Parts: sequence; C-alpha cells; structure tokens
Amino acid sequence: MLMKKNDAESGERQRITIRLIKLSWKYKAGCFKTIFIQILLLVTALSGLKFTGLGIDFIRKNYDPKAPEPVWPFGLSLPQNWSFLESLLFITGLAIAFSLIQYLLNYYDKMNRARFLQKGLVVDLRSAVFSKLQRLSFRFYDSNESAALINRVTSDVQSVRLFVDGVIIQAVSIIISLSVYLTYMISMNIRLSLAGLSTLPLIFFTSYYFSKRLKPEYQEGRKLMDELIMKVIEFINGIHVIKGFAREDYELKKLKNVNEAVKKQKYNIFFLTSIFGPIVGSLSQLNIAIILLYGGYLVAKGSLPLGSGLIVFIGLMHRLSEQINASVGIIDNIQQSIVAANRVFEIIDSDETIKSPKKPIRINRAKGCITFRNVYFEYNPGEKILEDISFEIKHGQFVGILGSVGSGKSTLLSLIPRFYDPSMGAVLLDGYDLRSLSLEDLRRQVGVVFQESFLFSKTIADNIAFGKPDATIEEIQKAAKLAAVDNFISQLPDKYDTIIKESGSDLSGGQRQRLALARAIILDPPILLLDDPTAAVDSQTEKEIFTGIEGAMRGRTTILVSNRISSLKNADIIYVLQKGRITQHGTHSELLKQKGFYRKTAEIQETGIEDI
Amino acid sequence: MKHFRVKNNFNEDIPSEISLKLFWRIFKYTAPYARKRNILFILVILRSIQLLVITWMIGKIINGPISSGNFRDILLSVIGFFAFVIFTQFCFIFRSKLAMELGESVIFDLRKEVLEHLAEMRMSYFTKTKVGRIISRFTSDAEALRSGIQNVVFVSLVQFGGMLVASILMCYYDWQLFMCVLALGPVVLLLDRYFRKRLMKAYRDVQESFSRVTSNVVESIRGIKVVQGFSREKLNSKQFSKLVDTHADYNIKVAENESVFLPLLELNSQVFIAILLLIAGIRVHNGTLELSTLIQFFFLSNFFFSPINVIAGQFNMALTAIAGAERLFNFLDEKPDWVDRPTATYIEIKGKVEFKKVNFSYKKGTPILKDISFSAEPGMTIALVGHTGSGKSTITNLIAKFYLPDSGEILIDGKNILDIQTSCIRKKMGIVLQSNFLFNGSVMENILLGKENSSENDAIEAAEKLECRDIIEALPEGFNTIVGENGVGLSLGQRQIICFCRAMLANPKIFILDEATSSVDSITEEKIQNALSKLLKDRTSFVIAHRLSIVRKADLILMMENGEIVERGNHHQLLKQRGKYAKLYREFQLAK
Repeated sequence: MLMKKNDAESGERQRITIRLIKLSWKYKAGCFKTIFIQILLLVTALSGLKFTGLGIDFIRKNYDPKAPEPVWPFGLSLPQNWSFLESLLFITGLAIAFSLIQYLLNYYDKMNRARFLQKGLVVDLRSAVFSKLQRLSFRFYDSNESAALINRVTSDVQSVRLFVDGVIIQAVSIIISLSVYLTYMISMNIRLSLAGLSTLPLIFFTSYYFSKRLKPEYQEGRKLMDELIMKVIEFINGIHVIKGFAREDYELKKLKNVNEAVKKQKYNIFFLTSIFGPIVGSLSQLNIAIILLYGGYLVAKGSLPLGSGLIVFIGLMHRLSEQINASVGIIDNIQQSIVAANRVFEIIDSDETIKSPKKPIRINRAKGCITFRNVYFEYNPGEKILEDISFEIKHGQFVGILGSVGSGKSTLLSLIPRFYDPSMGAVLLDGYDLRSLSLEDLRRQVGVVFQESFLFSKTIADNIAFGKPDATIEEIQKAAKLAAVDNFISQLPDKYDTIIKESGSDLSGGQRQRLALARAIILDPPILLLDDPTAAVDSQTEKEIFTGIEGAMRGRTTILVSNRISSLKNADIIYVLQKGRITQHGTHSELLKQKGFYRKTAEIQETGIEDI
Repeated sequence: MKHFRVKNNFNEDIPSEISLKLFWRIFKYTAPYARKRNILFILVILRSIQLLVITWMIGKIINGPISSGNFRDILLSVIGFFAFVIFTQFCFIFRSKLAMELGESVIFDLRKEVLEHLAEMRMSYFTKTKVGRIISRFTSDAEALRSGIQNVVFVSLVQFGGMLVASILMCYYDWQLFMCVLALGPVVLLLDRYFRKRLMKAYRDVQESFSRVTSNVVESIRGIKVVQGFSREKLNSKQFSKLVDTHADYNIKVAENESVFLPLLELNSQVFIAILLLIAGIRVHNGTLELSTLIQFFFLSNFFFSPINVIAGQFNMALTAIAGAERLFNFLDEKPDWVDRPTATYIEIKGKVEFKKVNFSYKKGTPILKDISFSAEPGMTIALVGHTGSGKSTITNLIAKFYLPDSGEILIDGKNILDIQTSCIRKKMGIVLQSNFLFNGSVMENILLGKENSSENDAIEAAEKLECRDIIEALPEGFNTIVGENGVGLSLGQRQIICFCRAMLANPKIFILDEATSSVDSITEEKIQNALSKLLKDRTSFVIAHRLSIVRKADLILMMENGEIVERGNHHQLLKQRGKYAKLYREFQLAK
C-alpha cells in the first residue's frame, strides 16, 4: 500500500520534471547562451591561472638558473630575442587581458540571465497564472485559500524559474567545468590529482548530511516563530477581551512560554550549524595540506614546476571545491522547484468550468425576464443546497427572497450572473438558457451588490467606473446621485479623486454599500441583484442604504435577498426559502395572513409591538 | 497570512551614521551574558590572527622546504600546518556558537520586553497603533538587530584584525611593494561606495515595484467576485502584465549594477597581482627582491583587499541594525497613558455606578462626552441609545476603566475609580462587544478566559444557566470544537452565545454589552434573547442596544446625542415626553 503511494508520487514527480524541462526548452536560446558563456569563462579562468603560474616560473628561472624551464602550452615559447622586461610585460599583459575578458563575460552572463529569466520566463508565467486566476470559477475560489493563491503568482513562479537557472543550467555548467578541471589536473599530474581529490567526496557528503539534518530544524524554528507572531496578533486583536476580564498576566505567560520555546529550539540548531562550518573547513584545508605535502615533494624532486604546477593546482582545487559546494544546492533547488511547479501548473491546468459556449447567442440589452426551471444545486455531491426551484420574474418586477442563514438564498442569486451553474435544471434570461449566452454579455446585463462590498484601492471614480472603465465623469456622477452617495463624495477634499484605502476601511458600512450600488448601476443594467446588502449594518445605516436602493431600482428587474422583513415588505412578490426549497410566496400582506415562516419571522423581529 | 508578508520597512528611514548612545544601549543588553561576550571577543581576536597565519604558513612552506627540496622538512611543516588548521577550526566552533547564542539571548530578552510592554499599555494605545507596526518591531526590527549583534562587530573585528596584521607583515617583508597595495586601497573603497549607493536605490525600486505587484494580486483575488461580476478579467490581466514587466525591468537594473560592481572587486585584485608580478619581477631580476617575498605578497595581498569589501557590507548591515534598534527602543520607551495610583485599594464591588460631570475626548479638542452625569443602582439595566458617534460606547469604555475621564468623577459603590485597583474592577465585570471576539482554541478555553482558576465544570454550568449548553454541544466537537480564525466557521449567533457564556462565568456585578448590529438569523435570535435576559438579571448592566425589546424593559434609558444625554427615563416616560426618543422609536416602528 505504502509502496504504491510512493510509486504514484515518484511518477508525479517525473511528470512534473519532464514538463519543467519542456518549459525550459521554450527559453533554449537563453539557456544555450548561458552555457556557452560559462564555457568561455572556464577557458579564460584556466588561462589566466596558467599565465600567472607561468609568470612565477619565468621569474624563478631568471632568478635561479637551476630552476626548471617554464613549460609553455602547445609547444610555444617566447621569442628568444626578447629581453627579460619585454617578456615580463607580455606575460602580465596577457594576465590582465584575461581578467578583463572574464569581467566582460561575467557581465554578459548576468545580464543574459536577467533578460531571459526575469523579463522572459517570470513575466510570461506570472501573467499566465494571473490571467487564468481571473477566469477561474467561484467553485475554485471556494476550495482554495486566498493567501496560498497569492503565493502562486509571486514566490512559486520564482521557484519555478529556479529550475532553469538553479538546476538545468547549474548542472550543465558544473558537469562541464568539473570535467575540464579534472582533465586539466590529470594532464598535469595524475597522482597529485587523485591525492587532491581524495577528500572531495567527503566534503560533498558532509555538506549533504548537514543540509538534510538542518532543514527540518529550520522549518520547525520558522513554525514556532510564526506561531508566536500569530499569538501576538491575536493578543492585540483581542486586547479588549483580555483587559476586560483582567487576564493580562495569564495571556502574557502563555506568550512567554512560546518565546521560550523559540529560543530553546534555536539553541538546538546552533550547535549543529557551528560544527558544520569548521568540519567542511577542516576538510578543504586537509586538501591543501595533502597537495602541499605531495606536490611539495614533486616540486622538490623537480618533476613539477612551482608556479604553473603547484600554485595553479592549489588555485584549481579552490575552484573545484566551490563547484562541489554549489552542487549540494542543486538537490534543494530540484525539491523546491518541483513543489512550486506543481502548484503553478495546477492553476494553469484548472478547467474554466464557466465560460461562453463556442457559438454564443449575443444580446445587446435584455428585457430582464428571469426564469428558474426545476433548478437543483449542490456544492458537494450529495449535499443539496437548492432543490427543485421554479419561478418566473417579469421585467421590472421587485422580488424579495427571505431565508435564514444557510437556506441557499445567496446561492440562488449567484446562479443568475452564472457565478455557478445549476447541477440540474436551467436558468433562463428572456427565454434563453444562460449557458447559451456570451458570458460577457450576460454579466453586462446584471448589476450585483454583495453582502460586504469589496472596494479597490483606486480613486472613488475608478471604483464606480470599475465595470465601465471608459465612463465619463458625468456618467459617474449620475450613478453616484442615483445611489445617494454623491453628497458624501462632494464633501471629501479630493471629491471623486479620493483614493480609497485598504479596501475601504476608512469608510462606513453605509458609504461602502452605496458606492457598490453606484458601481452596479453605472452600466445601467436591466437586472439588479442585491445580496443582503444591509446584513452587516445597524438600522440607521440600513435606512441610509435603502434611500440609495430605491433610486437605483427604478426601471430594473430587482431581486433582493434579506432576512429582514423591514427590507422586503415593499416587494412585488416575496419568495420564502427554507433549506433550499421555496415554501411560501406572495406579497407582504398576503404572507402575514398565512401561518408559516414569514409570519413567525415577522413576529420575532417585531416582538412586543402590542404592549405599548 | 502566514506565508504572505510584504516587507514593510523599506520606506522607513535608514540613518546615515551610527549613534554611540544607541550602540551603548544595545551593548548593555549583553551584560547578563558578559562571560559569553568576553570569551567571544577573545576568540574573535584570536581568529583574525589565525586565518592570516594559515595563509602565511602556506607561503612559508612553499618558499622554504618545497623550494629547497628537503622532503623531511616538507613533511614536518605540513603536519604542523594541519595541526594549526585543526586548532583554528576548533576555535571557530565556539566562536560561531557563542555569537549565535549571544544574539538569540539578547533578542529573546527584547521580545520578552516587547510582550511585557504590550500587556502594560492602555487601551488608547491599541486603538491608535496598527497591528502591522507592532509586529514589524517584533520581527524585522528584532531580526536586523540580531544580525547586527551576531555579525557586525565580530566579523568586522576579524576582518579588520586580518587586514592590520597583513599590512604589518607586508611592511616587514618589503615596504615599497606594500605602498603599491596601499595605493589601490582607496580605489577599491571609492568604487565600493559609489556602486553600493546605486545598488541600494535599485534594490529599493525592486521592492517597491514588487509590493505593487503583490497588492495588485491580493486585491484581484480578494475581490474576484467583483472582478468577474463586472467582466474586468481581460483589463485586469493586461494591467497586471504591465506591472510585472516594470518589476522585471527593475530587476534587470539590479542585475546590471551587480554585474558591473561585484566582479569589479575581483578584477581589482587580479590587476593588482599582475602589477605585482611586473614590479616584483623587475626587482627580482635586478636582485633587489627575494622571490619568496613575491610569493608571500601573492597570498597576503588578498587579506588586504577582501576585508574592504566585507567591512563595507557590514557597515550597511550595521545601519539597518541600528535603524531597527532605534525603532524598537522608541517603541519600548512609550509610556502607558496612566497607571493605578499607589493608594488604590481592592474593594468588594456591589455594582453602584455614578458619573459626575464627566468630560472626555480621545483627541484633544474634539470632546466626545460633555458633562455626563447619571447614577445606576446595583441591578439596574441601563440602555444607551443614540446614533453612531453619539458617545454610547465611550461611556462603557470609561466604566471599564479602559480610559480615564479628562475631568469629572466616575464612582463605583461611592468610591472614585481612580482609588480602586483596575484589576479589581475588571474581575467583577463582564464584557461582550460587537465583534464577539474568539481566540484560536477550543470553545472551552474561550469560555474559561472569563475567570481565572475556574474549572471546566464551572464553564459548563455557566452554559447551563444560560440554557445554551445544547447549542454548544451541537457544534462538531461540542466544547472541544476549535474556533477562532483557524477554527470552524461559526455563525454570528453561535459566537455571541460563547461570548455570553464567557461573561456569565465571570459572574460579574457589572455587565457591559455592545450589541452586534448584524442581523442574527431569527430562530437563534430567540435563544439569544432568552440568554440575555438571564445575563442582565441582578447585575448593573449597560447595554448599547439595537433591539427594542431590551430598550423597552430597561430601568433607565439614556438618549445620547453629540456626547450629551438629551433625554433620560424609562420607555413609557420617554414616549410621553414626545421628544427625540419618541421620534426615534416611531422611525424604528415605521421601518418594521
């Protein structure tokens, strides 16, 4: 059983890896360029090192005629007639030239990566994820936490990028440079190379071991710290409860305990991290000791030149261990990029369950007749939210829907702009099934005001014109006047150019809802949907909002969902929704005469009128 | 929330110099760990010498035994070399462990101080301070300070020590050659300063453009209903692509600066080595320089150049640390608005509450309460009625001693509240506010918060008294159901009932209720009304009321307007007056 699960998991990893490689292939021009530059860099680095070594040998020979002859590559040598100074100038000139070339190559490498990765891949991927997110249905949003979704556009995309430069390019350049270094070293002296390399596997495994040991510890540390921060935020948010019941000491003690735990956990890590550095350090110094010992012996014997032999060798070892250290990082990078890629691909692959049909029926302006025909709806299979809902709304009608929490009234409303599709049955607009209409056309016919209205941190004008970005200021003002919010706006110092902060937290509930109303009616929609717009406000504010609603309703089919009798009683017809079924309908006075949920609710909401 | 944190301190100023006073204050925090700190200093000085000695030894071995070709000497010196390496690394274990422990200990103490400070601050502080600000003191500022303590001083010391010893050695070998090294020093320093400034600006641009990207994503996701409801998907995606593109441009600018600057330092030392080769080569040729000196210089010069870069980096880190410390200390230095008088006593509260000519304002110059006087006998229910902003909740805030009046007196059982210990009042008080705040944890834990040293049975008993035990037990896990932000979603009515139980457990003499304005679904409403009437019984209760049923039954209604009591009396008396209350009541009725 467990085996099977592992198999499935590794299959999944394989699939993602292949897809990541395909993604990288799209940017192959950049990748190949990077690898090419890496090879050039390698060559110049080696040459620079070689010439420095040659310089030392050359001076040594000049100083001590008994020293061995400097060995020039490819059987070349300096012209015999050059003076010492000329030769020296030539060698130093070469060394400087190589450093300059290296410098330029490094610059091009970095810029090339930034261009094809940050400006190419990251921008492409972010835009793709974002535009997909914009189109995904509400069902998707219901089952995903928003913080996690945000991360997919920001940090996860960067982790996917890591696969290209932190895994593929890195791995290819490490393989190339390792083989070049090795060949070079071996061509110089095979035994010395083997002696020098003997500790490298040890360094690799120690690094790997420690990074593996430390990772869960760091994760645990971050988790504890997050917990502490969450607790402090809660402490501040609930301060009136804590102070109100005089429980400061008790809560403080709890916080201090978590603080203590953070410290204790950190102390555990400290020992591990502080022995890691020195162990790896000792190992690479051991390397140098071995080379000094054996290489020194060879130099002493005269079978290895000092400069272009021993000193170059030490330089090479240095670079080699750097490469080994970097390769430890690749393993982490693979992990990180696969996890992130999984999350990113999940979004890109998600089906847009709600979209326009291939050949949509186009409507310019609907009349506003809405029909529900035997509509069933469930969020999760088996849990019926709406059952066999049928009714017809004529254009221009004001319809109220009463229901308690969980009766399905908001769901019913959200079927009209196709935020969801019914599980069975159909919703029709002017006789057309909603699923046969162009989605954009449909939504343009419908203005929605939600329970708690989300405003964007843009200007008031931009917020009102949200659905009609090309609206003129006159249109905006007209909508604001209809929604009875124009007065308030003109009292603000910047009027319509006032920027709304933090989704409108500086506005009152009534102001927010009336702005949302203006936003809904600027499109002059034939249908207006009001989803309990006064649920979160007091009765004074409710009145304020309704002055706006009355203006906005005129000439439109309006559906208002509420659990307040006071909001509903002027409706042309009221439907009572209980556990997903319509149990009663009629006008206010008709329903008051019937025995049932409507009357009971009315009585509770108005208890004691008689006893005045 | 947990994974999503926008860096919030890039717009806060970074000082350009290091203040000694501040430095001293940070240093004092290491006093409890003086032994650790002092050993650390010794280790650090030791290390700066050790690192250099290692390099010097390599040069020495090459020049000595290897050049002269004596294998016995090579073996001995390499063994000596490796022994010294082991000793150095052994010291380093303690050097890094102690530095980390010292940093963590200091930050631990600071975090503790922040927590204690928070518990001590008064209500006014929390209303005017944003949570994000407090949290960034706790996180980014404390972390900056930690890296300051762990790294800046010690790393700089090691580097500086190495540089110094290297200079002395080079001078000793050949002062003329050393002059060449010295001449390049200022060049490196100037380059470093110039580019670092440009880099800082580039980093800031990247951060700023990134926070625009994230806030755009946040809004688009949180407002997805509106986006789709108004068919803005295409336009939004276009705008977003533009933002991401700009962000990428800033990233490229950073890459450009980095790739010009960082390799430049390496180039510098390569150029130096080439120059060294040239000058030294001529001099060796002329016989005025030993070859061995050239090789030593080859190794030692590195110890002179690389610290310049490292120390410059540390200086920037120090500035960030100091800026963090400054904000942290400013935060800790804020004093609570008031503290209990030393003469304040603990009394057995019966529940009489009096206001005598009380004036109050949150902000100077905008009075919220004007000349408020009233008296409530033990057991009375007082309903506070009036529009938003009329001062209703301010009155309850003053009774709870969350704030002190500007003038006038508030008396409990005839005694000025200034002379009563704050905790004594709060322990005899129950509060339920509009927000019906629940902590992350079980329902049981939330109820038990009402009174210290109470048992689970007490909590269940409290729920029984309110006839709400069945409602709580109907939750998925009953009393053990996890609630709060990470817990199961509760309806407003359910949350309110848990808060009622919490207040009931406290068995208060004074009960404060700020009714929720949102509509509770009507069937739960009945249950709440019932529980409420039990809570209000036999306690002095102050209710900011939205339900007429409570207002009608109140012993005293205070009708508030612009911070004044405009009418007072019970329901019938006020209706007869045909004043503002009667008008408000008619509006209420009309709305029904």
